[in-house]
Amino acid sequence: MIKVRSDEPEYSFLWDKETKKETRYGSKIELTQLDSGLRNESLNINNDAGIGENPNRYKQHGFVLNADNCIGCHACEAACSEKNDNPAHIAFRSVGFVEGGTHPDYQRLNISMACNHCEDPVCLKGCPTGAYTKFAEYGAVLQDPDICFGCGYCTWVCPYNAPQLDPIKGEVSKCNMCVDRLEVNLKPACVSACLANALDFGVIENMPEGNVENKTSIPGFPDPEITRPNIRFQQTRSTHREMTRTDSTPIKYHRDDSVGIFTPVVDEKFGKERHWNWEKLLGSHESAHVMFTLGTQAVLGAFLLLVVGGLLDLATIVSITTSMAFIPLLGVMFVIQAFGLFKLNMHLGKPHRFYRGFNNLRYSNLSREIAGVSGFFAGFSGYVFFSLFDGAFFTTLANGFAGLGVISGSLGLYFMVKIYRIKARPFWDHWQSGSAFYGNTMNLGALLVGAIALPFLVESAEVTRQAVMTLGSLVFAGLLLEIIGHVVHGRDMHRQGGEGAGSFYEQSTTYGKSWITRNVLLGTSLVLAGVLVSFDVGTTLALTGWYLLLVLTIAAVTISRSLFFVLVIPTTMPGAFFWKNKGFEAHARETGLADMEQMGVVRQGHHAFKVGELLETIKTTSPKQMFGHIKDIFVWKSVD
Amino acid sequence: MLFGRNKKNPIKIVDKEVVKWTYSTCGYCSTGCSIEIGSNAEGKPVSSRGVGGADVNRGKLCVKGIFEHELFDSPGRGNNPLIRDDISKGYSETDWDSAMDHMASEISRIQETYGRDSFAVVSTGQLMTEEFYTLGKLTRGVIGTNNYDGNTTLCMASAVSGYKRSFGSDGPPGCYEDLEQTDCMIAWGSNLPEQHPIIYWRIKAARDKRHFPLIVVDPRVTMFAQQADMHLAITPGTDVVLQNALIHVILDEGLEDREYIKANTVGFEQLEIEVAKYDPVTASKICGIDEDTIRNVARIYAKAGAATSIWTMGINQSTHGSDGVVGVNNLNLVTGNIGKPGGTSLSITGQCNAMGTREWSSCSGLPGYRALENPDDRAEIGKFWNVDPEFFPKKRGLAQTDIFPAIELGEIKGLWLVATNPMTSMPNTARIRKTLEKLDFLVVQDSYVDVETTQYAHLYLPAATWAEKEGVFTNTERRVNITRQVTDPHGNSKSDLAIFNELAKRFKQAEKVNFPEKPAEVFEEMTHLSKGRLVDISGMTHDLIEENRGIQWPYTKEDADKGEPIKAGGKRLYTEPGTFRYADGMAKLIPLPFIDNNEVPDDKYPFWLNTGRLVEHFHTRTKTGKVGNNNKYSPIPFMELNPDAAKELGIRSQEYVRVISKRGDAIIMAQLTQRVPKNMIFVPFHFHDCVNRLTLGLLDPHSRQPAYKQSAIRLERIEDQKAAAQMSMERRTY
Repeated sequence: MIKVRSDEPEYSFLWDKETKKETRYGSKIELTQLDSGLRNESLNINNDAGIGENPNRYKQHGFVLNADNCIGCHACEAACSEKNDNPAHIAFRSVGFVEGGTHPDYQRLNISMACNHCEDPVCLKGCPTGAYTKFAEYGAVLQDPDICFGCGYCTWVCPYNAPQLDPIKGEVSKCNMCVDRLEVNLKPACVSACLANALDFGVIENMPEGNVENKTSIPGFPDPEITRPNIRFQQTRSTHREMTRTDSTPIKYHRDDSVGIFTPVVDEKFGKERHWNWEKLLGSHESAHVMFTLGTQAVLGAFLLLVVGGLLDLATIVSITTSMAFIPLLGVMFVIQAFGLFKLNMHLGKPHRFYRGFNNLRYSNLSREIAGVSGFFAGFSGYVFFSLFDGAFFTTLANGFAGLGVISGSLGLYFMVKIYRIKARPFWDHWQSGSAFYGNTMNLGALLVGAIALPFLVESAEVTRQAVMTLGSLVFAGLLLEIIGHVVHGRDMHRQGGEGAGSFYEQSTTYGKSWITRNVLLGTSLVLAGVLVSFDVGTTLALTGWYLLLVLTIAAVTISRSLFFVLVIPTTMPGAFFWKNKGFEAHARETGLADMEQMGVVRQGHHAFKVGELLETIKTTSPKQMFGHIKDIFVWKSVD
Repeated sequence: MLFGRNKKNPIKIVDKEVVKWTYSTCGYCSTGCSIEIGSNAEGKPVSSRGVGGADVNRGKLCVKGIFEHELFDSPGRGNNPLIRDDISKGYSETDWDSAMDHMASEISRIQETYGRDSFAVVSTGQLMTEEFYTLGKLTRGVIGTNNYDGNTTLCMASAVSGYKRSFGSDGPPGCYEDLEQTDCMIAWGSNLPEQHPIIYWRIKAARDKRHFPLIVVDPRVTMFAQQADMHLAITPGTDVVLQNALIHVILDEGLEDREYIKANTVGFEQLEIEVAKYDPVTASKICGIDEDTIRNVARIYAKAGAATSIWTMGINQSTHGSDGVVGVNNLNLVTGNIGKPGGTSLSITGQCNAMGTREWSSCSGLPGYRALENPDDRAEIGKFWNVDPEFFPKKRGLAQTDIFPAIELGEIKGLWLVATNPMTSMPNTARIRKTLEKLDFLVVQDSYVDVETTQYAHLYLPAATWAEKEGVFTNTERRVNITRQVTDPHGNSKSDLAIFNELAKRFKQAEKVNFPEKPAEVFEEMTHLSKGRLVDISGMTHDLIEENRGIQWPYTKEDADKGEPIKAGGKRLYTEPGTFRYADGMAKLIPLPFIDNNEVPDDKYPFWLNTGRLVEHFHTRTKTGKVGNNNKYSPIPFMELNPDAAKELGIRSQEYVRVISKRGDAIIMAQLTQRVPKNMIFVPFHFHDCVNRLTLGLLDPHSRQPAYKQSAIRLERIEDQKAAAQMSMERRTY
């Protein structure tokens, strides 16, 4: 237990005398039954076996921000970073602001935000490694950096930007609610440091003395239904109808009088000019995802085509699998898939902890996707290997692995789409994510098969023509699916407004020229695929057309997928002018300002695969522990 | 756990393993917060926290104080003395003995060649009071130059001058308790949430308990303005007009405190004649505040049971700085609001020990608020120091802002800068560059070797910082508080006290003068000199100060002998009628005619340039620019620019803009905000090679303080943003 100093001021102590029974969402504030086995256990903070004497230890707690009072002095952020020893580029709590009006009728509304220790912690459910736990003690959602492998998925799903991915350490960390202070009845450090009587903390739904409001909305704050956050606001002063952000995000907030809250709308702060921005688009840190998703979809598409087509006895597929093309095709597919997986794994903050990706099959779509794709890769590899040998035995084995590959691969693809259906990222949360992924599985798979196999089939004009028609139809269908998705997506983003429309605005301006190029490429590809399927242009021309189609489509989907990753605007809270301003962060990285440590901006880099650490883990983990670990993945303790 | 893992791992929370907390006083602003520095078992300072039982800050600290333990081993600290004979050459390291010998011989050479006053000393508000006192003794009593001043001329000189003119002495009459007990407060050009957040918190807490009207006078919609009941967005540089108009209404409506005026002031008639010219209609045309508002404010203020005015640089840093302070005092004297709970004129001070240097450094006179102009004071100090009183000048020499022009004209050949950075802080830095180039000998004594002024120095002396040494600061409310030593001086740096004492040893004149080595011994010497003075600290000792988390002066030997517990706060000056420091005990009401001599915007330079502070930075960023968790909130310079003005100029958010004044230009990133009016930009002053390339800094006639906040500029859009970014980046090394 930490020591409470003798002159600790009164304002530092928790104040809840009475508490309510239920939260506004209808959940119990008392988080466990009185006889629960979860009670009277130590939190083992730094291996201290003590148990805190806080009378409200098993009640859900939360922060209260009185935005009428916040002056944006950074004391809360500083106290937090001082206590948690965070470097400049990491902050568990940040203050951003929105502003409105015209001088001197000007108003700035500061918003201090950390983790909201949600009732429905999407971070916990998203994390593939199981690094998160929601504790019965205080309802704190805590994350263990020692388990984390630095994929950053929790930072995607959290609507509040609470988990912090450290590009230097390669791991996530976040607000720990200062549970060490709560154990001795002290408020969290940030609250005790507040210089404006703005930030407070207590059992959820309790109102600090002097406050008159306890609401869940404030301009810039996302829909509380996403995660049921345990934060309450007071904001009683009249605000302007329109509140703008000072950071580079093209979003402002407009008061909707019918519901009395602010909704995000597009702020065209960079005009309407269209730019290329190739470097930003293709060189983004997410390019590993572009390569992995496209590569996997291509290989999976080709694989499904070969296996399912084989099962259905499709003439084209049979002619391919029995031709000299088969082995080179499998080889190319293997290389693409292996490269994609390698890129993805090395994109992790801690690549050597890759095996932890399966830990959270219970909740995490990402865990399921990882399991699916891994199963696919295993099935596919077995299929490739045993296809090298002749004989019924090997064929059976190959078919067995093919079955595993088909089932795992399909599941993997399904969850690959699911992981982008994130409420905090409206631009992704649309069925277009699926139409693009499924469409690309079709067209890239068919294109890949054709690109390798067609030259082996040219001896027979008829076989070639048939192959072009079969494969070309799939390419055509895939392209069409993707195009329809884009059209409807664009329309829906506009209708829906908010962050999705903001992303679309950036797509058509910041990346406007690249976006138009993508559209033209997609359209041209579709026409070309249509022509190749519909007209018999002769073998030479068909082959030439095919490779042209390959190049055009790859260019189109590469731009498309890159746009998908760079454009997404999360629902996160507004930043300030420098701090938590994506525009300034990008500027600092481009110009080299980021090389000065005290800028608070660091470069994003890749991390080493630490073989030593992996071996050490293997050495120090007993078979029993390993078995326990695996058991934990599949056997889940029930909780009360 | 509710859900998540099956097995609970132990929770890891950072434990800094502090084994010892050392009591100190924050070394940033003059709020004077009590701070404890936590050291781990190796003795390394690893943590900071506000002292819970201290009356000033009651456990709180601002963003700077929270990371103050990171200062000790921050980048850019100096390790060894550096020397060179020509500023075009590189430095070489030297040892302390050689450095001090060289310095003493250069001072002697310059003084022998060009006269005693040709060597100037410019000090600071950053040192311990014991160090200021010692430097004063060395400069006035041994080296004997009359061109000796502090950088407080850039921040507090107008307050000093205004207090002296009104009350007969420097010394803020009020205390923080007044800010809680008042019934009405006007903040003149003071943005507490940004500049003095702890004081803001105390007012906020008081107003949450008992609301009283808060009126903020500021051209910008600062956070304080936003939290106020009334915000008066005044035209820059016209505060005196508003003050005159307020008094006009008060007298016109008979709201003045006749009894108080009679018992405490002289000059009422002259004041009445002058303010008669400032009826609200006339005034509103000049200061931009409408006549109704002027009348309203005057009535609220005059009718309040107790009313308080605070101010900071919005008043001090203008051509009417001293007048503005006198104007505040006039307003309070006319309404009987000096020396009573909740009624005061309180200048919210800047540097941690600006007050200490005013009291004890001898910069503008002799220690303990004594004047060079007073023969008795000269005699008393001469006797105490064992220096011939005739050695002292009979009149104060040049102020800091006049020392630089004297260098420019060749009257001053040698300069010693102690913990101040004129290359960033002085207006019109282009002129300062040229000026510094002309020096025969420049010594820079600073904790940081990368302080920009070292570009022009011949000798650099690495000084210990803050809690690497021991001594006292005086804060805004006259509270003497102590900093205990937490760690050894960085590298081979020495405390400023040790440096002064070492230098003193090299002068023959110092042989008969006592220079105690220990801060506590120096303090004791000061307590003797303080007896019977306004600034009486004779009852204090270092230990007693720590025990009480600071003691407000006056605290006399007699008080101490009574053995009563010392009040935590709430001590005021001038609480009895007719106890002001003029010989007749009366305060002066001084008429303030307004002459508009500012550089106001015109067709060529259509924008006001306003400057000011940010909460995360301190002064010229030598400290906070290296603490990432401070610096990151504003790592590069920016300007607040009105979006409507930006639109007309084609400037977008986060673009670099060229700002041009009649002095020069600067490249600054634009933040578009309606916080500023359409014809004004605001630029923080903390950044090197930035806003002070532009400022004019006309001098206040009384205080010689520069008017940083009123200049005219124009803006030019920059086509090549990449080159601008490069240029901006090259101008900062931290």
